[in-house]
Amino acid sequence: MKNRLLPWGLALPAILLVAIFLGLPVIETLLTTFADPKGAFAPYIKFFNSGFRRTVLWRTMEVAVITTVLSVLIGFVTAWVVANAPAKAKSYLIIAAVFPLLTGVVVRSFAWLVILGKNGILNSLLLALGIISEPFSMLYTQGAVIVAMVYLFVPLMILTCVGVLEGIPQDLTDAAASLGATQWGVFKQVILPMAVPGLIVGAVLVFTGSFTSYATPQLLGGERQMMMGTFLHQRAMVVFDWVGASTIAAIMVVVTLATVLLMSKLARKLNPVAG
Amino acid sequence: MTVSLTLENITAHYGKTMVLEDLNLHVGEGELVSLLGSSGCGKTTTLRLVAGFLEPTAGHIRLGDRDLTRLPSHARDIGLVFQTYALFPHLSVKDNVAFGLKQRGIATAERNKRAMDMVERVGLSGFADRYPANLSGGQRQRVALARALVIDPPLLMFDEPLSNLDAKLRVEMRVEIRRLQQANGTTALYVTHDQEEAFSISDRVAIMNKGRIMQLDTPEVLYSRPANAFVADFVGFENVIEAVATGEDGDMILAEAGGALLKLPKSHFELPGKEFLLAARADGLTVTAAPGEGLPATLGLRTYLGRAYQYVCETQAGTLTANGPLGAPLETGANAVLIPQPEQCCVLPREAL
Amino acid sequence: MKRKLHPALIAFAVLVFIFLTGPLVIIIGSSLSSSEFLEFPPQGLSLRWYENAFDISAFRRTMGTSFFLAVAGTALSMLVGVPAAYAMARYRVQLPGWLGNVFVLPVLIPEIVLGFSIMKTITTGYEVPVLPSLLIGHALLVLPYCVRVTGASLNSFDFSIEEAAVSLGCPRWKAFFIVILPNIRAGLIAAFILAFITSLNDVSISLFLTGPGVSTLPIQLLAHMEQFFDPTIASVSVVLMFITVGVMAVVERTLGLTFLTK
Repeated sequence: MKNRLLPWGLALPAILLVAIFLGLPVIETLLTTFADPKGAFAPYIKFFNSGFRRTVLWRTMEVAVITTVLSVLIGFVTAWVVANAPAKAKSYLIIAAVFPLLTGVVVRSFAWLVILGKNGILNSLLLALGIISEPFSMLYTQGAVIVAMVYLFVPLMILTCVGVLEGIPQDLTDAAASLGATQWGVFKQVILPMAVPGLIVGAVLVFTGSFTSYATPQLLGGERQMMMGTFLHQRAMVVFDWVGASTIAAIMVVVTLATVLLMSKLARKLNPVAG
Repeated sequence: MTVSLTLENITAHYGKTMVLEDLNLHVGEGELVSLLGSSGCGKTTTLRLVAGFLEPTAGHIRLGDRDLTRLPSHARDIGLVFQTYALFPHLSVKDNVAFGLKQRGIATAERNKRAMDMVERVGLSGFADRYPANLSGGQRQRVALARALVIDPPLLMFDEPLSNLDAKLRVEMRVEIRRLQQANGTTALYVTHDQEEAFSISDRVAIMNKGRIMQLDTPEVLYSRPANAFVADFVGFENVIEAVATGEDGDMILAEAGGALLKLPKSHFELPGKEFLLAARADGLTVTAAPGEGLPATLGLRTYLGRAYQYVCETQAGTLTANGPLGAPLETGANAVLIPQPEQCCVLPREAL
Repeated sequence: MKRKLHPALIAFAVLVFIFLTGPLVIIIGSSLSSSEFLEFPPQGLSLRWYENAFDISAFRRTMGTSFFLAVAGTALSMLVGVPAAYAMARYRVQLPGWLGNVFVLPVLIPEIVLGFSIMKTITTGYEVPVLPSLLIGHALLVLPYCVRVTGASLNSFDFSIEEAAVSLGCPRWKAFFIVILPNIRAGLIAAFILAFITSLNDVSISLFLTGPGVSTLPIQLLAHMEQFFDPTIASVSVVLMFITVGVMAVVERTLGLTFLTK
């Protein structure tokens, strides 16, 4: 009897921490959106009836999808080079990828503020090269947000993909070669299909990360490029519209969870190893 | 199409370490040759060189009249069975088997037919649509075999193919491998560290040590007439005694060893020189109570083997292991003589090991 | 898995690594500028913006708060997370499989939603003061790292050595400390470091939980950026980066960097 309770006893403090300080508040936030006096779905109807709000949601989706696609492509190709680099070069390249990852979001977004600003480096460079005749601000555009987000997530994708690629046993690629597959054949028929589940997991991280980000759209997108994260903050802390903020929060939770569930289902389907 | 495999003066390095030194090997048409040795002896390196996963620093590899030495792996046309099986986890049994055919540009219908035929031949009909993760070890082994055989390669190679199976399956699968290899008449190179496996399956066996072939012969010759002390030790000659020939007596050779005079029948032994080594299995030295004609010994620890008693014996030639009959166990400390049994002994040249 | 690389691929990777490291080099460069504006390359070199960063009391104070939260939040999280990870690895049969998912919730629920919800329910609703709210938020934020990373080393752990210790007369609770903890040291250090860095750099949770007088460094940086655009921010960023370098050196020493690709 004592032994049956021990495992639960050990796990209990952590369970309580999550239940009380995550479960309770998040559920309350979700319930808030259904407790509107104007009707259960009133906040959602309001959200989707507002052109501005729809634009914010759509823009966030668009930025997250573009960021994900670019990060996966850049990350995978770079990881391929890293995984096949000589041992010494490889460890330096991994350090170069890990370092930005461990540097904070604010610092990394700030760097792009310096680069893309009106008096920034890119403008000075383009002016010096005579490509443009007067500086123009690249900040507060969707492009700026995407560039900074790709910058944010490429290291994560590189590390994920290096892990995935190194997890493919060499015996398998040797076997494919011995059976007559050329280098391209081995890549297309063995490495890529085996890497896809890992790539999906990485892509989900990038998508949910960029969909819910705050600091980068705040610094590089500003008011003009309002995204779900910045919009939530504005509703909650500037306008004090907590129902509206909770609605945004609920939509974010639904999109995030749906993406994670659907994609992990897809990854499992594409991965007969686990099944 | 049967061809022979020839390795000529192959030298190979890992970085700066030499792993193979001037290795020569010929595997005849339709012959199965095993490379046998402990880990690090160079047997797997040899196989990977032939497969094209490594390049030799010197020498040539020929398959029939083709020079493979600089050919990329995928153009070598060799069927390879891996220790880990290396089945593609994302492909079904049928697609695994068909993989090599697909690389050869064989049309889907033909490909599927040939793959299914092969799946059936290795006894896996009904499993064609399963994935490797859902197969037992023995079944995976059969898929690996089918995948290597279906491309009808002129050369089959096996890298410790049975080491992940339990004892019973191992015996079953090695019979299966031998059967399929002989039925196709395919030339084969087989790498293993298991002596019983190598001897039971091979036409000839190469015993390797430190990147060199110590002896290449039929299992029968290796077992009874090893060519040097390394091979003798490897095939179970536990005792090696230094001896000097002193003369002849009719059809007997007279030799002095361990302070005693031994008589060895000429019909069994061909001395490599005046000074030589006498190697004996424990069964090749019979323990008899002193006095008598043989190597004098003081008996130490006695253990029971079922078919005989085994004794640790102190002699002038060193500590030896010898067996005595079940009828008359001798006590520790007793004086005895050890009598060589010619069928379980052999002579070796004296050389630096 | 070494393959020959096409020169175009290598060129592409070189560009990517320039893209990754360039902006950080730019920050370091502009932090050393002697002029009033953020510029790169700097016209003249000076350390005046570092002095300025340490002169501004808000930076000093928030850096202290950030450190406190990273250390205390991670410690709190390890305190509840390690026993949970142990229970899940040791009693795999008794505990249900979904339990593991509970501890991943803090990364599954968007951080910004978590921050907002804690602010609304805990800080405002139950009137918990700002600092404890922040501490709880950060402990929650890093809990997945503490449970998962520790759990990974516990999953490959051979619990028969615990039984060996008990059979030799060591009480169970003591065996946990003298047999198990020393053997999962690498996992504990890795968990602590990942958690520490995550907490130190957090924006989305602290965003809602900072109150008058109590803020964290990243939030203070954001606020400063909205008013001033001078090299002070760059120099504070560089200080944060060097803290990261220090942490990474510790990682490299103790574990090697390859564990980050796993």
